[in-house]
Amino acid sequence: MQDLTQEDLAKAIGVTRQTILAIEKGKYIPSLDLAFRISRYFKVDIEEVFSYEDMQRTVDID
Amino acid sequence: MEKNVFYLLIGVVAVILLGIFWYSVENFTPVIFSISFLVAVILLYLAYRRVEDFVEDERSARITEKAAMRTLQVFWVCFCAFSILAVMNLLYLPRFNREFWMNRQSMIVPPELLSPKMIGYTQLALLCLMIFLYVGFRIYYARKFGEWETDEE
Repeated sequence: MQDLTQEDLAKAIGVTRQTILAIEKGKYIPSLDLAFRISRYFKVDIEEVFSYEDMQRTVDID
Repeated sequence: MEKNVFYLLIGVVAVILLGIFWYSVENFTPVIFSISFLVAVILLYLAYRRVEDFVEDERSARITEKAAMRTLQVFWVCFCAFSILAVMNLLYLPRFNREFWMNRQSMIVPPELLSPKMIGYTQLALLCLMIFLYVGFRIYYARKFGEWETDEE
């Protein structure tokens, strides 16, 4: 997983690299569907990838 | 076909269409432009189907949705405000002057500020302005949702 690029992840879950970047930077809140797809890709629970506090911060930006 | 090539193709087709439009106007042949327009739409649709790197995800859909919604909100207010003003201007109504209504026959009606032709042109101009408004909102929301963010990768 350490060699994983944003481009690879984006292709695997069917979004653009800009979307992955925007999520990382907190500029965009993913839908529940996309959040689940990301967590399933990493084979972890959704809470391990996303936390509510982070979401609150991005809501303020939105 | 790459996305940028497709955008270039749109530009080229638009310029050619503009030329055909002027030719049609000069020679009073609307059929040529009508056929050209249909051919252009079919050509662009076929080209669009050949674009391979055209990924639309939920973020880009959200940008489009928000930009369209805001454009509509601003546009209909401006358009309706102008249209009401135009109708009032044409009908010389309403008038809150008692003297005017009592001596309506002898009163001198003020000249129209806007002729019906100018009203039509202004409405067309507002429609054109909507395109720029949409582009502006699109840029705003694209920036808001991290379209031009860069990272170390």
